[in-house]
Amino acid sequence: MSRQFHNKEAATDVSRRGFIKGCTIAAAAMGLSESMVPKLVEAATSPTRPPVVWLHFQECTGCTETLLRASHPDVGSLILDTISLDYHETVMAAAGHQAEKSLHDTIEKYEGKFLLVVEGGIPTKDGGIYCQIAGKTAMAILAEVAPKAAAIIAIGTCATFGGIQAAQPNPTGAVGVKDLVQGTPIVNISGCPPNPVNFLGTVLHYLTFKRLPALDKLGRPRFAYGRKIHDHCERRAHFDEGRFAEVFGDEGHKQGYCLYKVGCKGPETYANCPSARFNDVGVWPVSVGHGCVGCTEPNFWDSMTPFYERLPGVNIPGSGEGIVTGAGSAGKKILGVTAAAVGIHAAVGIGKKVLKGNKSEDQE
Amino acid sequence: MLYVQHHAWSILLRLYHWCFALSIVALVTTGLYINAPWTNTMIEGSSSFPMATMRYIHFIAGFVFTGAILARLYLLFFGNKQERFWDFLPVTPKNIKNVFETLKLYSYISDKGDHRIGHNVLAGTIYGLTFLAAAAQLTSGFYMLYPESLAWQGWGLMLFGTQQEARFIHHLLMWYFILFAVAHLYLVIWNDVKTKEGLVSSIFNGTKYEPKKL
Ligand code: HEM
Ligand code: HEM
Ligand code: SF4
Repeated sequence: MSRQFHNKEAATDVSRRGFIKGCTIAAAAMGLSESMVPKLVEAATSPTRPPVVWLHFQECTGCTETLLRASHPDVGSLILDTISLDYHETVMAAAGHQAEKSLHDTIEKYEGKFLLVVEGGIPTKDGGIYCQIAGKTAMAILAEVAPKAAAIIAIGTCATFGGIQAAQPNPTGAVGVKDLVQGTPIVNISGCPPNPVNFLGTVLHYLTFKRLPALDKLGRPRFAYGRKIHDHCERRAHFDEGRFAEVFGDEGHKQGYCLYKVGCKGPETYANCPSARFNDVGVWPVSVGHGCVGCTEPNFWDSMTPFYERLPGVNIPGSGEGIVTGAGSAGKKILGVTAAAVGIHAAVGIGKKVLKGNKSEDQE
Repeated sequence: MLYVQHHAWSILLRLYHWCFALSIVALVTTGLYINAPWTNTMIEGSSSFPMATMRYIHFIAGFVFTGAILARLYLLFFGNKQERFWDFLPVTPKNIKNVFETLKLYSYISDKGDHRIGHNVLAGTIYGLTFLAAAAQLTSGFYMLYPESLAWQGWGLMLFGTQQEARFIHHLLMWYFILFAVAHLYLVIWNDVKTKEGLVSSIFNGTKYEPKKL
């Protein structure tokens, strides 16, 4: 925005303190040391930093919303004000021809240098007519802008993997950016919506190191998607030991037990939600009692539904019951067998006495 | 030499012995792992749970151990003559005398010993101590297994203190069981060789032999 308006006041709205705080949050999410923060700050404010163009296609604007709705403004304003956003349909003031001109100017002037952010899936059926902006299809816009970008960040599960419109039967033939673009490096920040910290981290990484962060096989930054939710979840001990919420609102749910049986997809989902958390108040779905729906994974609308039923075949230690619960039920059986053995012993003893009297069993 | 055959051990005692002995082997192995997990790995995933598996085995074996001890408790009062506590604990002058006779035998001072169909009283005293150690071990164990249970908290706090203190005692008692097992094996075999009463086989078939007094 700043570059668009040259609005110094708007730029200083982000106090230096908040700005550094935002950079620190991003550095922490990427696992960078504190000593890197000044470098990130420098890169984010460098006058030669590349501009960012943000395209919206088939989406709900939820990804942009998460950036704007951060409860303290540091992360959001850092992205919107400090990193220059030259074209963003939701937040830019320009409209119509003016906006289109701004887009054009940027991609011509900064060809091969600007960062392209794509939010939303791209419909491909019937020539891509199901999503058009300024009379052009999403496919055409992407085909025009993408080859000129230095790198592309696909934000949200729609832009990365097609998202909800790509769910069966996918009437518009929606796909993610990576299915249409070759030749330009792509980073997938999946999630519905993704954590703004992961987006910010990727951008700052690019500005600071002039290259994209290390990616997993689905093109997602490993600093954010390198580990399963389940392997870092605060309810994990309850999973291992066999304490589950059976239905929402039951005693187990109130006790904060594992949400696996009410449908949590954490065991199959890669994301840093348990550590990065959301909305700057340290929450994420599982922390507030709702299972993970697996929103960072491809096809999650098809493969993770029904959302409130457990995944089949996930290995729970302790014969599928959890180790403490499992040992407890095995223990009941063991103690039952003990009682039976003692009972038989007593019965045989009494029986023998009745039958034989108290004869000695010694033999020579 | 002629021998008299005695039925010394009931089936229940033999079952208890092997449940007890084998559970202790499992408990020591898994307990050492819980204390110092050595399968460190950088591999993450939801299908390998070395610590969970070790703890699971530990807890199951803990229940077997507890069941065995409860069976033994019953036999202390309702078992056969050799299995009741006054036969092998130093509670009568005759039994106390047996402790000294056995000590003399073990230190090669005397050759005769004071033959018993059941345990000699020196062994019996140690077994009695072992039962007490087992009671402490399982109480501290269940205190740690069900940390939220107010009943176990009551026992645990009264007997050991905090969870950490209980854990420390639990760990120390493990060494008692290890030392006991080693000494026990040595002495059982020593006795089997020395006194030829069929001691080792008695814990399988319940039968012991005594030289016939002619
Ligand atoms: C001879 C019998 C036993 C031995 C040798 C033994 C040994 C051990 C050892 C070495 C530890 C690790 C403590 C440490 O050093 O940090 C441990 C932990 C533990 N044991 Fe035992 N144990 C025995 C019986 C039991 C029994 C009967 C129970 C009851 C079910 C039990 C339950 C536990 C529990 C709950 C823990 C803590 C595990 C954890 O916090 O993850 N143990 N045991
Ligand atoms: C291969 C291994 C073992 C053999 C051959 C064996 C053999 C025996 C024998 C022959 C007795 C009767 C001895 C007597 O009359 O004094 C006995 C008793 C006993 N053994 Fe073992 N034992 C073995 C392992 C263990 C282990 C590992 C433990 C536990 C740490 C154990 C605990 C006991 C106890 C507590 C008794 C007393 C039985 C009673 O309660 O009356 N044994 N064992
Ligand atoms: S199943 Fe869900 S709630 Fe349970 S431990 Fe795994 S991620 Fe956490």
